[in-house]
Amino acid sequence: MATREAGKKMIMLKSPDGMEFEVEEAVAMESQTIRKMIEDDCADTAILIPNINSKILSRVIEYCNKHVPTTGATGAAASDTVAPAALAEDLKIWDAEFIKVNRATRFDLIQAASYLNIKGLLDLTSQTTIDTISDNSLEEIRSFLSTKNDYLPEEEQTIRRENQWAFQ
Amino acid sequence: MAMSKPQQGDPAGFLDLVGPDLSACVFARLQDPADLARAATVSRPWRRFVEGNGFLKKVCVRKFPELAVLTAAVEVRRSPDPAPAPGPIGGGGGAEANEHRIYSHLYGALVAASPPVDCILHCVGASSTDNFPDETIDNTLEPQDRVNNRFSYWSSAGQDDPDVPETLTYRLVSDICVVDEIRIQPFKAFFQIGHPIYSSKMVRFRMGHCKLPRPSESFITDDDDNQAVIADENYIWTYTSPEFFMLQENKLQTFKLPHPALCIGGVVKIELLGRVQKQATDDRYYICVCHAQVVGRSLSPVFMVDINDSAGYSILKHLPEAKNLSVEEVMQDSASDSQEWKDALASYRETGHLATALMNVLHEGAAHPAQDAQGDAPHFPHGAALLQEIQAMQGDANLMQQLQVDAQLLYLLQDGVLQLQDDVLQDEDGLQAMDEDDDADGGGVSDNDPFA
Repeated sequence: MATREAGKKMIMLKSPDGMEFEVEEAVAMESQTIRKMIEDDCADTAILIPNINSKILSRVIEYCNKHVPTTGATGAAASDTVAPAALAEDLKIWDAEFIKVNRATRFDLIQAASYLNIKGLLDLTSQTTIDTISDNSLEEIRSFLSTKNDYLPEEEQTIRRENQWAFQ
Repeated sequence: MAMSKPQQGDPAGFLDLVGPDLSACVFARLQDPADLARAATVSRPWRRFVEGNGFLKKVCVRKFPELAVLTAAVEVRRSPDPAPAPGPIGGGGGAEANEHRIYSHLYGALVAASPPVDCILHCVGASSTDNFPDETIDNTLEPQDRVNNRFSYWSSAGQDDPDVPETLTYRLVSDICVVDEIRIQPFKAFFQIGHPIYSSKMVRFRMGHCKLPRPSESFITDDDDNQAVIADENYIWTYTSPEFFMLQENKLQTFKLPHPALCIGGVVKIELLGRVQKQATDDRYYICVCHAQVVGRSLSPVFMVDINDSAGYSILKHLPEAKNLSVEEVMQDSASDSQEWKDALASYRETGHLATALMNVLHEGAAHPAQDAQGDAPHFPHGAALLQEIQAMQGDANLMQQLQVDAQLLYLLQDGVLQLQDDVLQDEDGLQAMDEDDDADGGGVSDNDPFA
């Protein structure tokens, strides 16, 4: 696909490790943070995205590319129209694949989604974390969220006994 | 092994890497109290984090919005020892940790699968009564529509306008009950031509507490049916159900609430909305109810609430040690108990729980006769003290009024105690006599001959 099409404005995003990404403005504006910069005219040449390395930034752009509302024949952004059910289902499957990453990447993605204010990505990454807590045993939660168990065995037993209803 | 040192953070773990603010946003998405209770068990930093943000309370309130009325939650320990409760392991301690623990226990009690029962303790009043006392609201406590050759039902006053509503207000056995459903049987007037059924069009339920001091909310003793007391401005309703259709059928109709509701404050008002049946003789609309039940579970005495509207607080009290109290412990404080414990138990006795509590204890006692300390033969050591207490109440109308127990209940209790003592004596003689305690709760209602 051509990177430059008539009528599509491009934006340059820079990661702190020096990589540059040229993306369509509509894609970049999936991020409310970047949208605000563009709307405030703070984005004449390139936008430096602090704290987000090139590896994570490229994943974020991948996500935004997939999720940017499709533009109609007239060229007007169809952001208000609801995607057809089939498209939504397709996105869901894509999201599920997208989030199959190691936990360090997932933690980074949560932070990136939060900083860049991309609601869909924040929902996706948060929900994955929430599901980890809801669907797994304590041992699995600890392992998946790399949290060390610092309870003594007898302490853990006591707490589990006190909260028995939650472990049924 | 050396005690592992509580760590300050969650090194290289989720909380540290993602940061507290963003972690809080993520955790705030957890909807199920069980997830939060489990999250607090993952590690000490997680526990402090969950406690510190009050997540568990928030989801409990989302599940049971009636909890929003509570302004504080405290734990009441039996021992006056100032040493704090056997602590929040690894938790941050203090108020936040206490609140987390209390709400965890509360939610555990709310979802516990114990069998629901009728929770009505007594009637508070009806919005109107056609003929007092023949058609008093008190009759709605009786399941049968005929008692001692008389019909048993409540009847509203007559109205020309079918839209005039009526209300029946009841007090529950405790100030904190979880209610699953309400059952109402409209009354079929067998003595009128065509046997009309005086149901209402719709029915709706409110739950909450009374702002008046206790003694002013007494039994219905005169024909104004406590009009002054049941006035809406005297109540704060913290739960309102949707409206349900009522069938014009002579059967006990069940109105299952969409979600179990917490009745905090122990008052339930049944609103009968709209009339469907005219009485032929005067061409006016009436509503008549044969029987009503509020089906749920009491959480007392392990949980109690202390509501004071003028002072602007309502406190949830958790008494973890009140789980298996004996009759003696319910009746009498020990000198070694803490003042808070004594106060809570005193209110448990005074606010009308006493009779029900004793009935429960009696039934428990009958099922499992107490063993004395030496493990000797089963006996019933509280019997004499209990009988004395009951006799004192019977002789003191004021005290009965204050404790909100009626004569019949006291007779039942007395019967129950005597029966229990008999059982135990016979047991000691090696006789088998354990199945007779049924008499204790079945008495008082005689068999009815069909109405002629």
